[in-house]
Amino acid sequence: MKSLTTKAMIALVLGGVLTLGAFLGAFLWAGVPDFGFVRTAEQVDSVRYRGPFEQTIDEARYLGNYVGYRVEVVGDGGQTFRGELTSADEDSLTLETDSGAVTIVAPALESATVFGSEYGRPDWGQKIFYFHVPVAEISFIVFAFAAFYAVRFLMTRNREYDTKQRVSMEVTLVFVGLTMATGILWTKAAWGVWWDWEPRLTTYFILTLLVVAYFVLRNSVEDEERRAVYGAVFSILAFIDVPISFFITRLIPSNHPVIERGGLEGPMLISFIVAQIGMIALGYAIYQLRMGEVQLRDRIEQAKTLLER
Amino acid sequence: MAGLSGRQLRAMLRKDIVMELRTKEMIMSMGLYALLTMVVYFVALSQAGSSFDPRDIAAGLLWLAFIFTSMLGLNRSLVHEKDQGCLEALLLSPVDRPVIFFAKAGGNLIFLLAVELLTLPVFGFLFLQGEQMDASSLALLPLILLAGSVGISGVGTLLATMSVNTSGKDFVLAMLFIPLMYPLLLGAVIATGGAIVGGAEGVGVFWTGMGWVVGYDVIMLLASYGLYEFIVGA
Repeated sequence: MKSLTTKAMIALVLGGVLTLGAFLGAFLWAGVPDFGFVRTAEQVDSVRYRGPFEQTIDEARYLGNYVGYRVEVVGDGGQTFRGELTSADEDSLTLETDSGAVTIVAPALESATVFGSEYGRPDWGQKIFYFHVPVAEISFIVFAFAAFYAVRFLMTRNREYDTKQRVSMEVTLVFVGLTMATGILWTKAAWGVWWDWEPRLTTYFILTLLVVAYFVLRNSVEDEERRAVYGAVFSILAFIDVPISFFITRLIPSNHPVIERGGLEGPMLISFIVAQIGMIALGYAIYQLRMGEVQLRDRIEQAKTLLER
Repeated sequence: MAGLSGRQLRAMLRKDIVMELRTKEMIMSMGLYALLTMVVYFVALSQAGSSFDPRDIAAGLLWLAFIFTSMLGLNRSLVHEKDQGCLEALLLSPVDRPVIFFAKAGGNLIFLLAVELLTLPVFGFLFLQGEQMDASSLALLPLILLAGSVGISGVGTLLATMSVNTSGKDFVLAMLFIPLMYPLLLGAVIATGGAIVGGAEGVGVFWTGMGWVVGYDVIMLLASYGLYEFIVGA
């Protein structure tokens, strides 16, 4: 009993330190990828300089977006003007050169090259990746353990496996809840909506419902033996959704991002791996702590029955 | 687990069918429930005007009716067995557990198919009158009805056997049944929609959905067949 708690505490501390380290690594060390880029810094709150850009445009109406930029305009006679663009529409464009304002009618425009700066929009929402993905992975792994213990229980009818299976499902519920919560936050940040009926989200939502259904089933069966068997059978059936949910983004078109082999590098990869290890340790710690509590409760029950005799 | 005995299977199926022919309870309750669902559909769609194509939503509405009707039937068929002590007698008799599973699932399948065959023309009459339909692709409809019903009655029989032994029978069945049925339901709606819309594209969509449903049937029926022994014996 004592060793169980010690193991749990070690795992808890280890998991805490590693997850914290991974978050520090993710925020301070790993770079922030760009969500996209803009050409004028005022358009968004947080931007960073990406470098100069130049673009050649040959129709006056497309220049409307670049008022205020430095341009080099070539007329159809081959003459060149350099200066700041002051106005541009379908009919004509005007620029302020060193020797005064020049207006060029649209048909006379051969080409115009715009010079300016490009700014990246840092994708801070991506940081949830270091939390959301490990948590989701652990929810699948713990569910696999629950299904494994369910099979073991049906084979041996040993009550110990039933307890292990139930506790695994409880840990699954915790991680499934965390995955849903972080996923919903990220969806809002990245897609602009709180929820989308998209293959991965839908199958994971079904998984959540199945885990909840497991506890509904268990709580509505009175007979202890029967409760254990029903729980085991249902968790095996429900586990079929796990591979479906995991592989569906790779099988059918989905908005949900997928980590590709070699898609992560350097600090990002290291932070991610550390976060995964930390999260496994945390999952193990939660499992052991809960297990210790359940075993303690069983002992109290046994002691009660002995005292009543 | 010895082999399946055809005689035992037939005897148990016959028992269910004879009981049904005498009382007509399952067909009546499921059929009327399906009819009531149509009334609810009419109310639900009453404010939508004619701004949508009924053929696009017909498949979803149909399977919605089937899934709720089937839950009603599944619950009833197992409640009868339990209340009258029939299930216990079956367990005492020298019958293999898988035979019980296939007999119960077969009975449920027959009743569900009967109700579907009754509902389909009513649904077409109420919601799809005057719509352009492709007879050759509509002829595929029985395939998906059969494949979908096999999955529903197979997994449903297993889950209903669990839920009759719980407090709050209907709610527990719905809670277990609908999430587990989701892949089948989606595939069935896709396939049925393809068959109703028709054309070469519709037929392609039909076979995609059909593939999902058949795949689901194979996996889930094998799992249910393997696990039924534990459930019924517990």
